[in-house]
Amino acid sequence: MMQNKLSFYQSSVSLEIIGLPDYSNNENKDQISIISQWKLTIIDKPLIEGKIEHLWPIMNAFYIYSNLLIKNEIPLFESKLIDIKADNLHIHNIVLKSSKPNVKPLILKIGNSLLSDTINCFDQLNESPKVRIKKPDVPNNFPMKLRYGLNKKNKFFNFFIPPLIAICSLILFSSSFIYFYNPFENIEKKELINPE
Amino acid sequence: MPNKVTIWKLRNNNPLRKSYVNNNIKPNEFDALIRITVEMSKYLYPYIREILKSKENPQENPVIWNDFNRRFIELIKERFNIDSMRVKKLLDQAENDEIIIKSLLTLSFCISNQGYQKLKNFLYDF
Repeated sequence: MMQNKLSFYQSSVSLEIIGLPDYSNNENKDQISIISQWKLTIIDKPLIEGKIEHLWPIMNAFYIYSNLLIKNEIPLFESKLIDIKADNLHIHNIVLKSSKPNVKPLILKIGNSLLSDTINCFDQLNESPKVRIKKPDVPNNFPMKLRYGLNKKNKFFNFFIPPLIAICSLILFSSSFIYFYNPFENIEKKELINPE
Repeated sequence: MPNKVTIWKLRNNNPLRKSYVNNNIKPNEFDALIRITVEMSKYLYPYIREILKSKENPQENPVIWNDFNRRFIELIKERFNIDSMRVKKLLDQAENDEIIIKSLLTLSFCISNQGYQKLKNFLYDF
């Protein structure tokens, strides 16, 4: 069976996706849902290719690293498959670790221009209606700090909302006593105590 | 955005500018400015990329970076309030490299079709 091939280009970087449509899902013949191979070509650098299960973690690593880089946080990403760290403001060190034993990791040094080309290639793949990648449930394309920010917001609400509700309910409850309070009765009592 | 004058007026909401006017920017105006920025980044991506590349290899091709940096500083001196500490930081050659590169990188990461949403997330998280 002929496999479909889709390529995404951005300046010096190209990403090639090879695979088949999922006919059981009534997909078009030019669709790719079952990815058999992918290749990331960066000019003047060794070819990066791998299995489908490696594609999403690598894309995710690049997205997280790029977010850290522009958010004034320490630009460092480490995982079983890929490490990315900044050598300096302009050069990024990528270490791709092979899942096979006795295979040395592939080390690449790329600049900011190649990093942005790579991110844009991944964006094109993400946005392509012709390719469907099964991604983990976590919305990893979200900026990392934003995710933490949402968690922080939840913690903030969890911390402040219960005492706020308690105070409000106390005010509501105690305000109901106003119906039992009769100020004239108090004045009369005072007059009885001080008949002058 | 009804016309270019509206965009020009919105620029004055920047507290770093000499002609700063505190008109509260509306959410739809904020969104429109983000969309304009993303479209401009798409259009200027080859140039943004060359500036970044020029800074990576300053010995090989320093001209593009130097031109950009000189123009950037000229524009800031011309239009921004140079008494402000934040503007002084932008003008400081020792510190502004990082600010410029991170700003250019942010723009270059937002040129896809979903670039608007990406840039919005970056800005809300800034």
